[in-house]
Amino acid sequence: MAKLTLPAQELMYSGHAACPGCGPALTMRLVLKGLGPRTVVSIPACCWTVIATPYPTNALGVSVLDNPIEATGASLSGLRAAADALGYKDLNVVGFAGDGGTADIGLQALSGMLERRTNAIYVMYDNEGYMNTGVQRSGATPLGAWTTTTPVEGSSRGKPESKKDIMSIVLAHRPTYAATINPAFPEDFVRKVEKARDLTGPRFLDALTPCPPGWKYSSEQSIELGRLATDSGVFPLYEVEDGKYHITRKGGALKPVDDYLRAQGRFHHFTPEDVQAVQAEVRRAWEHLLLLEKETA
Amino acid sequence: MIEIRFHGRGGQGAVIASELLAQAAFLDGREPQSFPFFGVERRGAPVTAFARLDDRPIQLRTSIEHPDVVVVLDPGLLRTTPVTDGLKAGGLLLVNSKLPPEEIAAPASVRRATVDATRIALAHGLGTASTPIVNTAILGALAKAAGVVSLAAVGRAIDQFVPARPEENRTASADGFASVRLAGPMEHGAPAPPHRPTPLITVPDGPLATTPSSTLHTAAWRTLTPVIHLEKCTRCNFCWKFCPDDAIGFDANGFPVVRLDYCKGCGICAEECPPGTIEMVAEG
Repeated sequence: MAKLTLPAQELMYSGHAACPGCGPALTMRLVLKGLGPRTVVSIPACCWTVIATPYPTNALGVSVLDNPIEATGASLSGLRAAADALGYKDLNVVGFAGDGGTADIGLQALSGMLERRTNAIYVMYDNEGYMNTGVQRSGATPLGAWTTTTPVEGSSRGKPESKKDIMSIVLAHRPTYAATINPAFPEDFVRKVEKARDLTGPRFLDALTPCPPGWKYSSEQSIELGRLATDSGVFPLYEVEDGKYHITRKGGALKPVDDYLRAQGRFHHFTPEDVQAVQAEVRRAWEHLLLLEKETA
Repeated sequence: MIEIRFHGRGGQGAVIASELLAQAAFLDGREPQSFPFFGVERRGAPVTAFARLDDRPIQLRTSIEHPDVVVVLDPGLLRTTPVTDGLKAGGLLLVNSKLPPEEIAAPASVRRATVDATRIALAHGLGTASTPIVNTAILGALAKAAGVVSLAAVGRAIDQFVPARPEENRTASADGFASVRLAGPMEHGAPAPPHRPTPLITVPDGPLATTPSSTLHTAAWRTLTPVIHLEKCTRCNFCWKFCPDDAIGFDANGFPVVRLDYCKGCGICAEECPPGTIEMVAEG
């Protein structure tokens, strides 16, 4: 057999209740490959509650705590305190929450956990909307995207606001480590999870997770879309350790955002001007990131 | 008061059917109520929706356990879902089926009706062959078979509340009305099974869910199956690496094997295979 480029152990079981082609499902599989079995995962109300634990089954080969949508950060502080009290020194305490449960509803609990410097890893799987309840917009939904609450009809042309920059919010708390991860680049993804695992203090991983029904594309395109997101600069791959920025994938010139947008039904109403507006936003953010990398080198 | 329960699959429009029925009844001057069962509404998964119609305001807010009418949008559900649980004696079972109603098994004293709503939907370009949108055709059939709402009101509800292709949907409902077939109860039917309440769970003093999800098979979600042509396979493992269902294993020589009990047919492996050795084949 050719050498596997990822750990062989599977801690996410088949038979789970994710849609075909689910980005968050692949993301969980890769996160657990990086963390290993000495892990407890706290999951708030989100797609993954439904995917993991239709009673009496569990899709994960590790302990799972289901908690309210706003409580992931707080639950991590509690789990870590319990692990410390019980003397579990090698336990990975991990939160796995969607963008709504992280950037909107769970923001104060996340901020509290980071500020308390809880020794835990928080993974946000960002499918850019409230997908479990049928595609409503969240703070992480990108500019112009169709959702059921930002429709494309009458005077409404998708979401009028830009995506919330959750990485900057997290980095303002000076975590030990923060990184963006993308299941379309699994080796880079697992390397960052392993790095986070071996550090202590608050750690944050921001995963872009394509969603076939929510983004309106055919399920086999999930990996290709993730690749386009990074190579167009929509979702750059980088990590920040002790305040130092490091971009982990630089492929020369960025691809235009057009291919990424055109591949998704949620952007089908875009005019050339809409595409240009997104392109300008992406270019600004990318140049800012390059600058941060240079300044913190 | 008349209570109607809809059974369908995620994506077929059962919830919209229940809402449209309520809107049509309202246009007829009645007091309607409509709501879905809140559950796992994944594409292909069974879904339930409820409607109540009365001439007075409805105060009940519970799910329907003893329906007067059961509407089944997908004939495959007759095999997998206990659709007739709690159905009242003298009630009606309406099924989307090519079969004549006499060939539909039903509890004693339940009248039967069938309509080929899939054929009607596809004839009017509603949905696709794998996911036909049958709700408006079946509503027309319901208007005739149960007499709970007028066809004219169904048409007006479609005009007001169906944003896509109202003309085709209205014609589909008229076709359903015209072609629904009715039969009386079966001669030797057993009584309808009683409503089965969800059992109360005693929360154990320990882990709550300890059975691995791999005891559940998800093969039934699949409409396309990956077939690996091993002669071109380079054993690069990309299919394994990118599978969101961990549905790729390996044989003794390190060649990939699709774990068919779990594959949902998303097609990522075929799309990502560098030498293109994987083909997605329609299930026979």
